[in-house]
Amino acid sequence: MNEHRMQILQMLSAGQITAEEAERLIAALENGRSSGSSDEPAEPAPKARPKYLRVLVEAQEHDHTGGPTKVNVRVPMQLLRAGVKLTSLIPAQARDQVNVALRKQGVQFDLNQIKPENLEEIIDQIGDLTVDVDDKHAKVRVFCE
Amino acid sequence: MIPLLAFVSFRNQRSCGFRLWIPLFLAWLLLLPLALLLLPLFFVLCAVGEVNAFQALATLWQILTGLKGTYIEVAERQASVLIHTF
Repeated sequence: MNEHRMQILQMLSAGQITAEEAERLIAALENGRSSGSSDEPAEPAPKARPKYLRVLVEAQEHDHTGGPTKVNVRVPMQLLRAGVKLTSLIPAQARDQVNVALRKQGVQFDLNQIKPENLEEIIDQIGDLTVDVDDKHAKVRVFCE
Repeated sequence: MIPLLAFVSFRNQRSCGFRLWIPLFLAWLLLLPLALLLLPLFFVLCAVGEVNAFQALATLWQILTGLKGTYIEVAERQASVLIHTF
């Protein structure tokens, strides 16, 4: 067991780092050793936050007359964040009315349970979202970049 | 930052279409006095609707600044539309 790994395990036992951080450091250490890089264990690069939501659609007419219809949309993530914050501006009375209308349609959903911090987390996780639909009539791709 | 320029392109099979660069920064300058005039009315409406006016203003500003970089293109054989903000 080499010296660097011992240091990481000692830091873990002393409570200076968490188990997840220790695992990442050991993995980075092993990656650095396998690629022949420097002796210092490198911290894994932070995950870049996506800036745009892309939607690409290419649809062919059913009778294949004419060219395909193409849709290319790029929406800044900041716009999405600002848009979901609009839900926090809905007055309480309006939210109750919306909840009643949703229940009438059979949708058991409570707008009052939506909180801005939950929406922020959803927006952050959208960065990992990828949708690929490949049909003989249409291709749809949704992803973040 | 708010978008300062917009590019709009429209193509139609029947006509040659058009391409237009829109100086949004001039539009914002022209709309600013109007926005200031309507601000008291906005606060009144927010008070009536039990909405935090400052929070609403902040959200509207975030929406405006979030528009920068928006790219929308729809193209088919007969027509195409492109909107891009810078």
